[in-house]
Amino acid sequence: MQRFRQGSCAVGLLLIATAVFGQTSAVNGRVANAKGGVVAGAEVLLLNLPSAPMPNMPNMRAAQPVKTARSGANGAFTLDQVPAGQYVLQVDAEGFERSSQEITVPSAQALSITLTQLDLPGAEAAASQAATDPQALLARIAELEKRVNELESTTVLSEPETRVKREETYIDTNSNIYDQPTPGAKKVVTYQRERVFRRQTINEKIEQAFADEKAKSVAVGVSAAVAAQGTVQTMGDQQEFNGHKYALASADITFAARVAQNTFFFADLVGLTGPPPDNEISGITLLNSFASRLVLQNQLNVREAWLRTELFRNRFSVIAGRVDLTNYFDRSTVANDEFTQFLSDALVNSPALGLPVNGMGLVGVYDPKNSWLFKAGFQQSSLQVDSLSDAAFTLYEVDHLMRPFSLPEGNYRVWYRHAGTHQAREVERPAAHGNSAGTSIDQKLTDQLTLFGRYGYGRVDIGRLHFYSGGFQVQKRFVVNPGDQWSLGYAQTVVPGFGRENLAEGYYNFRLSDKLRFSLHLTHVVEERPGQKTLGYFVPGVRFQASF
Amino acid sequence: MLNTKSIGILGVVIACGTLAAVVLRAAAAIKITDPTSVVMIVNRDSNDISFMDIKTHKMVGSVFLGNNVNPHMVMMSPDGRYVVTGGTRANKAYIIDTATLQLVKVIPVDIAPEHLAFSPDGRWYYQGNPEGDSISVIDMVSLSKVKTIPGFREPLNVTFTPDGSKAYVGNYGAHWVGVVDVRRHELMKKIQIAEVPGFAKLDPERYLGDIKGINIAQFSPDGKYLYAADGDLGIVGVIDPREDKIVKTIRVGPNPWRIYMGHDGKYAITPNNGDQTISIIDIRSNKVAATLEAGPDMTGVNFAGGKAFVISSTSGFVYVYNMETLKPAGRLKIGVNIQLETATTDTRDEKIYLADSTEHAVVIIDAKTEAIEKVRNVGLFPWGTHIMDSKDNYCH
Repeated sequence: MQRFRQGSCAVGLLLIATAVFGQTSAVNGRVANAKGGVVAGAEVLLLNLPSAPMPNMPNMRAAQPVKTARSGANGAFTLDQVPAGQYVLQVDAEGFERSSQEITVPSAQALSITLTQLDLPGAEAAASQAATDPQALLARIAELEKRVNELESTTVLSEPETRVKREETYIDTNSNIYDQPTPGAKKVVTYQRERVFRRQTINEKIEQAFADEKAKSVAVGVSAAVAAQGTVQTMGDQQEFNGHKYALASADITFAARVAQNTFFFADLVGLTGPPPDNEISGITLLNSFASRLVLQNQLNVREAWLRTELFRNRFSVIAGRVDLTNYFDRSTVANDEFTQFLSDALVNSPALGLPVNGMGLVGVYDPKNSWLFKAGFQQSSLQVDSLSDAAFTLYEVDHLMRPFSLPEGNYRVWYRHAGTHQAREVERPAAHGNSAGTSIDQKLTDQLTLFGRYGYGRVDIGRLHFYSGGFQVQKRFVVNPGDQWSLGYAQTVVPGFGRENLAEGYYNFRLSDKLRFSLHLTHVVEERPGQKTLGYFVPGVRFQASF
Repeated sequence: MLNTKSIGILGVVIACGTLAAVVLRAAAAIKITDPTSVVMIVNRDSNDISFMDIKTHKMVGSVFLGNNVNPHMVMMSPDGRYVVTGGTRANKAYIIDTATLQLVKVIPVDIAPEHLAFSPDGRWYYQGNPEGDSISVIDMVSLSKVKTIPGFREPLNVTFTPDGSKAYVGNYGAHWVGVVDVRRHELMKKIQIAEVPGFAKLDPERYLGDIKGINIAQFSPDGKYLYAADGDLGIVGVIDPREDKIVKTIRVGPNPWRIYMGHDGKYAITPNNGDQTISIIDIRSNKVAATLEAGPDMTGVNFAGGKAFVISSTSGFVYVYNMETLKPAGRLKIGVNIQLETATTDTRDEKIYLADSTEHAVVIIDAKTEAIEKVRNVGLFPWGTHIMDSKDNYCH
């Protein structure tokens, strides 16, 4: 780029327009600096005024001058035979800012314009120009003092930052390095330091320091939930627990950290306390899904602790460690989370998946970031085993995002569970004992209304289990607060020879803030057993959930 | 009445004038003859604007603006004569002659100038000053600041009506869009996008700590409505510019950064950084047509080849969506441990020019084949790109 000559001066223009040639006029003027000295060789252009947007015409955009001239040795210039009208008069001289003004031709009025010096901090020519002119030097010192004051108030004189960059280079047999592919040289990946010169405000530096520190540290999260429920018997012989009240509190502490470029660590410690209704109501499925992972009361348990790494251009993820496999499979978007959605386990998980305790496992997820998703995993299914060979099951799933009949997006899944080796029964509910399979969908009908459904079939330790559920969730509309949601769901679980369970639940979830939710639940469950009277209960409940 | 001799003299004079003009322009070392032939790149740390030839991908030149200027956004005037930028740390606006690539004017504005816009006739250059809560009005004829419009709250982007009579200003530090009367250069109206929900008092950290308001009010391609996304409220407000009132609100995902208009007039997209999704809005029905998974820290959306390309700044990925099926179409890995900024699309909707700041490069994405080419050493820390007449000229 051409360096601009520096100097403090002004350009004075005296424009005299006189009619000399029919409908055209001459525009005369003079270019001078601040001390009255002439500026010779200034470029003078007369341009048309900007007009309405031009069509897209490459090579035709730049405005062509109507007239041009250069100032002479005495600073004078003349633009002859200018048709009457309005124009832009533009004067350029090296080292000065452009003079640009709208003029009307013809005009008897003389114009005088003063321009400011083109100040370009950092241009080397500035110092040399100032050094030869004491007045210019003083002016420049004053300008620099002013600028230092500005800098001190708004910026920090930061040292160069250091970044480590991944570089691909080419190395030949002599260990010579080339930046470009070279015959006889092989491509290698190396890392090297790079200096980056940034100007940042103090605030930016502090924010960045905090962000860097946060990225390197272990992120701790806390989540707490309390679900209080009661029973009101509606069918069958009076049970002694009719009218009993229950509450189950859960507290999670999570730790997350990035241990390598694409590798993350996560751990979830959970403590549960309190009696759930399932201690007294003997249903096929749980009425409080919090209890589904309950192992020991009043003790801190490791729910999950795993490492996750991403491979093959981040398309393939592997999670290994203590896992809850059902967190990765059959994940409905509206019926999968007992902390923010339904409380009843039949509307959170598919009973056909079984109720395995969390254990050692491995999950692989191939996500090409299109409409397909492929998953496979295995997990220890019992804690009372000597080896994984004694109790482990595997799960496979294919997910597909579809837009059937021009509806909004819907997620469709098919999964298969291979029971593998025998597993011990950990909870007093049907535990998967053989192979099972299932499907689930959640399909938006509108942006506010989502339908969901599940079907599962498989062998459990008490027989063959058939399960289906369905319902809908509403959000964004018919709600009190913008982030609220409400939902209704129904589930039927049948184990021939053992019994049938019909369950319906509705909830309204108030999103009080980003960190606090409160929800009202009402569940009705009907339990049928061969040779026994059918029992039915209303189970009203409330749930608070806070997360940080 | 001119006689034959006069006409002859006039002809000679015009011919000489034209010749002189050609000679003078040549003397000024013209570097760009076609303003649509270059990609402008704004480099924050080398404090310059560099120019890359669209066809050859070679650098044509660069214009140094001064130390510690930190230019933020670059734009070309509608007639192609000038390239302008705001120097965030210098509190000045810079005007560059496109043909000669010479800095011809430096104009003091308000504090931290960032985003800017031209009136459709090219007469007015509105420079937003987020930390000054003002808009500086620069006359592109006299190349001087004629007014500072106060009263905004962190004004980020300015959008002129097609007839140039009004300008709409997104206030990131508030939940309203300012309407400016361009004849008088005055803020004449404030349009609230939506009310802050009543339960906001339960979450003072979010609602009283730091406001994520409105980045931009963007016109639909037919020019009938403006769309403005509010980050805190997770809402897109639809404004009827005839009456300057909200005619509809559309709930999208949490913390939408801003709205980006598709080129075919069917859809718009909000990248929702609150849950790493995008909301695709059907602008014919003003409803959310799809909510799809995306990536973290999204800074821009470009449309080309029937696809949408969503930039995930910190992940090094560009997420791709098929705008016919409204389904994800994969993602492009640009690099590891890098930071992506914003991009512009060429006027043919074929290629995307993405600023890759930490690699000091511009990444050229072929929308059809999704092939990637990196042009390195374009300047230090490229923050954004711009192509004249592109439909995707935006900044952070």
